Amino acid sequence: MSIIETRNLTKTYGRIEALKGVSLRVEKGQIYGLLGQNGAGKTTLIKILLGLVRRTDGEATLLGEPAGTVRVRRRVGYLPEDHQFPYYHTAYSLMDFYGSLYGVPAPVRRRRIPETLELVGIAGRMHSKIKTYSKGMKQRLGIAQALMHDPELIILDEPTDGVDPMGRKEIRELMATLKKSGHTIFLNSHLLGEVEMICDRVAILQRGQLVREGTIAELTQQKGLYVVRLAEGQSFPIEAVAQQGYTVRPLSEPPGAVEIAMHDGQTIDPVIRLLVERGLSLRHLVEQKQTLEDVFMKTVEEAEPGVDRQRRRGAARPVGGGN
Amino acid sequence: MQSFFAILKDSYREAVDGFVIYVMLGLSSVVILVVASMSFTPAEPAVAMEAIVQRFAVIFPDKGRSRVISASFENRYSASAVKPEGDGYRLRLSVTANSSRGDDPDNPQAGDSFRRTVAAWLKQPGRTVKMSDLAGKQQPTGPGGGGPPPPEIEFSFNHEATIEEQRAVTDAQMEEFLRNQFAVHAGLTASVQRRQANEPQYEFDVTTTGGSAVRGWPHTMKMFFGAVTVSEDVNLGTVLWIIEDQIINGVGGAVALLIGLIITAFFIPNMLRKGSIDLLLCKPIGRVQLLIYKYIGGLTFVFLITSFTVGGIWLAIALRSGHWDPRFLAVIPLLTFTFGIVYAVSTLIAVFTRSPIAAMIVSIGFMLFLYIVGQVKTIFDRLRLEERGDNMPQWAFTLVEILNNWLPRYKDLDKLTSKLIADGTLTEAERRTFGLASIEYPSWESTILVTLAFIAVMLALSCMRMVRRDY
Repeated sequence: MSIIETRNLTKTYGRIEALKGVSLRVEKGQIYGLLGQNGAGKTTLIKILLGLVRRTDGEATLLGEPAGTVRVRRRVGYLPEDHQFPYYHTAYSLMDFYGSLYGVPAPVRRRRIPETLELVGIAGRMHSKIKTYSKGMKQRLGIAQALMHDPELIILDEPTDGVDPMGRKEIRELMATLKKSGHTIFLNSHLLGEVEMICDRVAILQRGQLVREGTIAELTQQKGLYVVRLAEGQSFPIEAVAQQGYTVRPLSEPPGAVEIAMHDGQTIDPVIRLLVERGLSLRHLVEQKQTLEDVFMKTVEEAEPGVDRQRRRGAARPVGGGN
Repeated sequence: MQSFFAILKDSYREAVDGFVIYVMLGLSSVVILVVASMSFTPAEPAVAMEAIVQRFAVIFPDKGRSRVISASFENRYSASAVKPEGDGYRLRLSVTANSSRGDDPDNPQAGDSFRRTVAAWLKQPGRTVKMSDLAGKQQPTGPGGGGPPPPEIEFSFNHEATIEEQRAVTDAQMEEFLRNQFAVHAGLTASVQRRQANEPQYEFDVTTTGGSAVRGWPHTMKMFFGAVTVSEDVNLGTVLWIIEDQIINGVGGAVALLIGLIITAFFIPNMLRKGSIDLLLCKPIGRVQLLIYKYIGGLTFVFLITSFTVGGIWLAIALRSGHWDPRFLAVIPLLTFTFGIVYAVSTLIAVFTRSPIAAMIVSIGFMLFLYIVGQVKTIFDRLRLEERGDNMPQWAFTLVEILNNWLPRYKDLDKLTSKLIADGTLTEAERRTFGLASIEYPSWESTILVTLAFIAVMLALSCMRMVRRDY
């Protein structure tokens, strides 16, 4: 059974199409990352899953039940982006309030609250008013309240927003621990490096459309691109290599280096043999790594060239924005 | 129920976080302390009984049932030999009548003034004169000069009774008259037995039940723990009525409603703030439930504040005066119910605008509008009752009727609360002389039902908006 499944999910706000037929599946125990620029529809998608926003068309299920129902929300923990806690609460009283809304019995709350706050590292300040907290502490509290009732699915919208590097590492470790204990995490983040580090699968939304989806390995799959440099004073046999069917391009940096692109079924081995046969000394051979950021930038640019310039001219944002 | 209490507790936390609540509680405490500093010392029985029987000059025709006031100053009443008996007193009541006009059957003022008074008391009031006519057609204004004129009080000068009618007055009717006068003027239950005496002198043995705590008993009233003497001869009920109705239910009620509105106007907009509402709506609670619980949270807050203030004052009054009438406590639910009207409007505006300022301004404006409609309706009712509305266009009456029928009964609730307090404090005579008996009171049923229906409509619209909106 999929933990999250959407089929052709569509949301329109008047003439604005916030989601255009999004279909995705999240399996149990996965950490699933959702990427996209601001206004891509990430938060709208999450809000539809939780019933905060009504879908225009399509289907969405959570934990095998229709998304957004009261019953299913009991099994989900959610950290919204740009959340604002009631200023008059302390961390303890807020957790107690939210725990009551989740139906957690009082004795369990009394035990769980300090435990959960300890987990996110703010137990020492749990009786201080939230208005005295730093942004990072509020973020940690946000994560704690999402974990309070031990949900099966945890949806986190920008969980490390405003958290210092040390705190971000702790949150990543926490997510890994939660995953090990069988929880499913649906993560929405702008920090591509973090997503790459912890997510099993990633989807990229662009202007309401799902443009890429797969495992990190699938998305960052290499296309056979190498940078080669010979010993000083030796020149690279560009024509000879090109005659073997490779595409060779001289690079300005580092000086004397070339970029060799493989084509279908080709490997770098024939090139190395040719260099050895000619008595040339290889000093540098590196396969070009593709990061998730590269994939993301390329995907966004391919899907909609010049989209950033258009957005700056003022595209309308859907209600409940932040995505 | 766990969610319900969690939201109530949350509303309480929100309310006690600001300083306004502490100002309100501080003011309430000061008022309670001031009331608690009052002392009410009952007059000595002999003095009190003498003061009470002096009020018998004022009579209400039709065996005390008429709202028309009449007066006969020809009889001299006096109380003597006042002694405690059981839980009341035994006394001798003497009436010295005036019979100086002879027995001429053609002179309606002839005969015996006491017999004439009792005969007039037995009859309908006959010809009456309105207070405004007595005042040279000038309409008196309400307390403080503003507001609608006070209820029109009518006077009867019909003390005429023929010699035959006077002679027909029996001992039993005289006793009944005096029993009624004790009840109407002092709230005393009395048994009266005529003694033999030569007319125009009348003697009666009277036994009363109820001690000095009855509402018409004269008291010496002091404030600030005896430092200031306010009055040495004031009816306990009158003082209590002024405190409970005029000060607490009137001024205090309006202040409580205003401050309550200001504090609670933030509850729902704060809940609906972006970033805040997401945290609530993702919890396993329905939107309608959430809104209704939050609404009830606001009401509970006002209920608790009102309970503290009214309950405190009631307790202080009861301990200091011995008057334990629970009717004043009805102000607590009634004021909360009245607040429910304006808070329902505040909720509707909050759901549509998410602005506490808009919610505050519109609900306070609506409260004023309801007050004005209620005042106009009261004036129009009186004009109609007194057949003085001929120069008013009919459409004006119709418009006010429609508004009053369809809008919540803000003013009517106030009227009914005042009546409840007056019934528990004032004597019959005072209610009539203050004009309260001349007011046309609405029914509890229609007042509560129409108001409840209005609140239900406001909340239904709020819930519809809340359910349909994307957050």
